Formats: sequence, C-alpha cells, structure tokens
Amino acid sequence: MLAIVEQGLILCLLAIGVYIAFRVVHLPDLTVDGSFALGAAIAVRSIVSGATPVLAISLAAAGGAAAGFITSIIHRKLKVNVLLAGILVMTMVYSVNLRIMGGPNLPVPRVFGQQEVVSYERMSGGTMLDDLFADQGLIEEETPPPIRERTVVAFFTNRLDGSDLAKISIVVISAVIILGAFLKTDLGTSLRAFGCNPSGVTAFGMSQTFLAIIGLLTANLMVGLSGGLFALYSGFADVSLGQGMVVTGLASVILGEIIFGKVKFLYGLLAPVAGGVLYQALLSTAMRYGYRIGFLASDMKLLTALFVISVIGVRQLASSPRKQRFKAEVKKLWLNSRGSQ
Amino acid sequence: MVELQGITVIYNKGMSNEQKALSEVFLFVHDGEFVTIIGPNGAGKSTLLKVILGEVNPLRGKYLIDGRMMNGKPPHYLARFIGRVYQDPNTGIFPSLSIKENLLIASRKGIRSVGFSRLKKRGLDLLKGLGLGLEKRLDVLAGELSGGQKQSLAMIMAVFSGPSLLLLDEHTAALDPRSAKNVMDLTKRINAEQGITVIMITHNMEFAGMYGTRLVEFHEGSLIKSDNRKTHSTKDSKGLRISLSSN
Repeated sequence: MLAIVEQGLILCLLAIGVYIAFRVVHLPDLTVDGSFALGAAIAVRSIVSGATPVLAISLAAAGGAAAGFITSIIHRKLKVNVLLAGILVMTMVYSVNLRIMGGPNLPVPRVFGQQEVVSYERMSGGTMLDDLFADQGLIEEETPPPIRERTVVAFFTNRLDGSDLAKISIVVISAVIILGAFLKTDLGTSLRAFGCNPSGVTAFGMSQTFLAIIGLLTANLMVGLSGGLFALYSGFADVSLGQGMVVTGLASVILGEIIFGKVKFLYGLLAPVAGGVLYQALLSTAMRYGYRIGFLASDMKLLTALFVISVIGVRQLASSPRKQRFKAEVKKLWLNSRGSQ
Repeated sequence: MVELQGITVIYNKGMSNEQKALSEVFLFVHDGEFVTIIGPNGAGKSTLLKVILGEVNPLRGKYLIDGRMMNGKPPHYLARFIGRVYQDPNTGIFPSLSIKENLLIASRKGIRSVGFSRLKKRGLDLLKGLGLGLEKRLDVLAGELSGGQKQSLAMIMAVFSGPSLLLLDEHTAALDPRSAKNVMDLTKRINAEQGITVIMITHNMEFAGMYGTRLVEFHEGSLIKSDNRKTHSTKDSKGLRISLSSN
C-alpha cells in the first residue's frame, strides 16, 4: 500500500505537468512522453557520474524544461501545430536518451544505505580470477591506479519504512505550493488568461509566444522531475519509460477532476495530485486482480486509454444539446410536480 | 493622432484567390475624436482595424500613431497604445478568471508587477460607473456574467490602462437592444470623460448616427466618404435613415 502511494505521488508530478499543458495553457503537449524518459535518463546518468541525488533530480527537471522549451519554440516560431511539435521533440529525445544512457537502459548504482560510501573502482575493478592469474605469474601485477572515492548517497531506500514517502511528499508538497504561488503571480495569472483566451492576451500587450514558452517549459519541468524521481525510485532508467505517459497523466488528471472538479483551491492543482495517487491505486488493483478476468499487465496501457476515451465520451454526450434539453425537461417536470404538491 | 497614408492591403498576393482588401486609404483621426466606420460586408472595415492593430501588414502605405511609424510593429506592442473590443463578448475578457483578475490583466498592458490593491480604487470606480453591481462581485468568474455585463467589463478592461485609442468592431452586435444601448452610452462616456479617441465599426445606422462625431464610409476597399459634420438619425415609416448636417 505504501509503495502504491509513493509511486502515485511521484506520478502525480507527471499529472501536474499534463494538467498545466492541457488545462492551464490549453496546449495538448505530447513532449511529455519524451521528457519523462529524458528526466529519468539524466537523473540516473548524473548519479552514475557522481552527482548528488538532489542535483540529479534538479538536472532531470531542467532537462524536461529544455524539451518543453524546444517544443514551444517549434510550435510558436516555426508555426508547427503543437501536437506535431510535441511528436517531433519526443522523437528527437528518444535518440538523446540513448546517448545519455549509452544504451537502452541504465541502472542506478546499487548502494546499501543512505550514508554508505561506495567506490566504483572497487566494485568493478577486478575479479578473483585476476588475482589468481597474478599469483601464478601469468599476468604482470600492475600497480593499481589510485582509487578515487565517489560518494553515492541513495535517495530512496525502498525499505517501505516511510522515509521514502516522507521525501516524496516533501518534493510533491513543495512543488504544489510553489506552482500554486506561481499561478497567483502576474505571470501565472497571464498564463491562465492565455489558456482561456489566447488572442485576448495580445490585446493586453502580452506575447502569446512568451506565454506558450513559459507554459510548456513549466509543464515539462514537472514531467522531467517526475521522470527523475521515478528512475531513482525504480532503480533504473529505460529508453521506453515514457511510452504512454501522456495518457497516464491525462487519466490521472481526469480522475482527479471527477473527485475534485469543483475544488479550485490552488488553481485546481489538487485534482492531478489526488488523481495521480488514485490512478496508481486503481492500476495496482487491476494488475493484482485483473488476471482473474483475463487481463495481463501489458493490457494496462490499453485500459488507461479506454478509460480516457470513455470519460471524454461521457462528458461529450452530457454536454450535447439533446442531452441538455432532456435534462431541462426532467427538471421542469420535477419542479412542476413539486409545485402541484 | 492616428494617420493612415495610402494604406493598401492585398490578401493572397500573386495567387489565384488574390483579393484587394484596402486600396490607397488615407485617414487622419485626431485626438479625442469619435469616428464611426460604416460600409457593407467586405468593404475593408475590419481589415482597416487589423492594420491599426498590427495584425495585418499593409503592402504599401504608412501607419503612424502620434507621429511614430507603426508599420511592422507586433500586435502586443501596439496593444500598449490601443484598447479593443470585438463583437463576441467572450473575446474581450478572460472567462476562467475572476473579475478582479481580469482587471489586473487589463491594468498592466504587458507583464509588469502591479498589485491589484494599487489599482483597486480606479477599478472599482470604473465598475461602479457601469451601474451593474460588478464592483461587489470581484471574485466572480467573468465567464458567469451575462453578455451585456461581459461586454461592459470588456470595455472597462480595454480602457483601464488609459490607451490613446479605442477600437470597437461591432461591439454591440451580439447584445440585446437594451444592453447595446447601455454599452453605447458607456462608449460615449469613455470618449467624452477620458478623452480617449474612438474608432467604431458598426452596421447599426442608428448608433452610427447618434454617437459618432465623424462618419467614414468604406466601399470595396476604398474610403468613399469621410464627413466631419455631426450626424443625427431620423426614423421614417420605411425604417431608419441617417441624415448629415453641418456643425
């Protein structure tokens, strides 16, 4: 249960990113699939290179922001549709991730506790067979190079003792508070204004391009942060980690809106947070018990997409004029019946 | 103050669907004037507004505000000098933001740090002037207002930062007669009390006659009449007719 909440909270940062892109600035950004994996790749590569976890996660967020920046520039400056711009950047980022990781995946170096000091040279710099050959004189014993100690501090212990949850919670709560405060500022208000009336902001002296850049940059910063945390939590980064993440984020946002749709506290940021955790809980339940009715773990992306389609479909039907007329008729009949009593 | 010197606009130049929208238009609008532009559909009225707003670059001609050349300036730059209100009440406001936030956006003309508290008195005074009670509903979402209230708010927002020029593109067309009259009275008041120059496009001949101090007529991309005389309207059995008389 704790693991579900932990993973849900990590993914709610992704959902917040999707929420900013799809709901705040109203730009359907598909970069998310790429920037999530980019965040993961940067975080693990940074740890492998000796960076501290905080720096690694910060770089992951910056990497996601850079991807969002490039998408917005392609969209606004080259006048490419935002969907296509997102797909282009997502495709580019795939190759970039392979370069960053040096292969299709990269594990987080294994460490044995939060404060333990690990030397990579010691861990991988020789085998017992080498020692045996050296003793027999079959190979010349070389003076070992001076050992450079690198301190690797594990950010997550995966011990399910609450320490990981505390760390993730701090990151998520900080992110939500900072974002909420940002959306209240002049720039944040302008972003929200851009989302509901893009041409209107021009009338008030603001550049649509600038606001689109800030919007997509912020959204993908959150996604990159989520990707970085996810990789450190899972212990690896994979080039296909981001596949379908935009749908996962959307499903979380929609779930959150079903529960907190009317709550506008912190500009609706509570919805993706709650949605992210709830989505993860539903996913885990489906994976645990779904096999009884024939579902496989590999079906989850299909189920998630079907969920998003069904919610959008139901909303569309509910807002159709025919349905509205039907609801009005029912209301009228109900009011008449009450009046006659 | 606003000078258009020989403005020519051709859409899709060199293509099979090439269309001349404006042809050698000369128009001088002085400070504080209330110019009403009339003409049939396709006459070039909206293109003229787009040129003034920087949304369309003329093929030929000069465009100046207060003697400064404005050709090629981006729309968000020109927005610092110009307020605008369109036909659809939702285009002049931000429906997902509260009335207070709408005023905050309108107040700064670009991203500058201005707290609402500094502008509260002016904002409240302008809202009170509408007589719609909006000053008591600052936290209500603008999207929840009626069409007339939205357009009135859009007018207030357009002039909140004190622009030199207010452009109105059939801004009463989507309103019921009573709301339209209220919005036109507000337009007149803004022009008279704040001295803001107004250029208004309208198909409503009654409004054109009652409110404008100068009537400009367009036809097929050309300015065919610019009358500096005061106008008034009369109504006969066949409908509305405008007559012009000298000052």
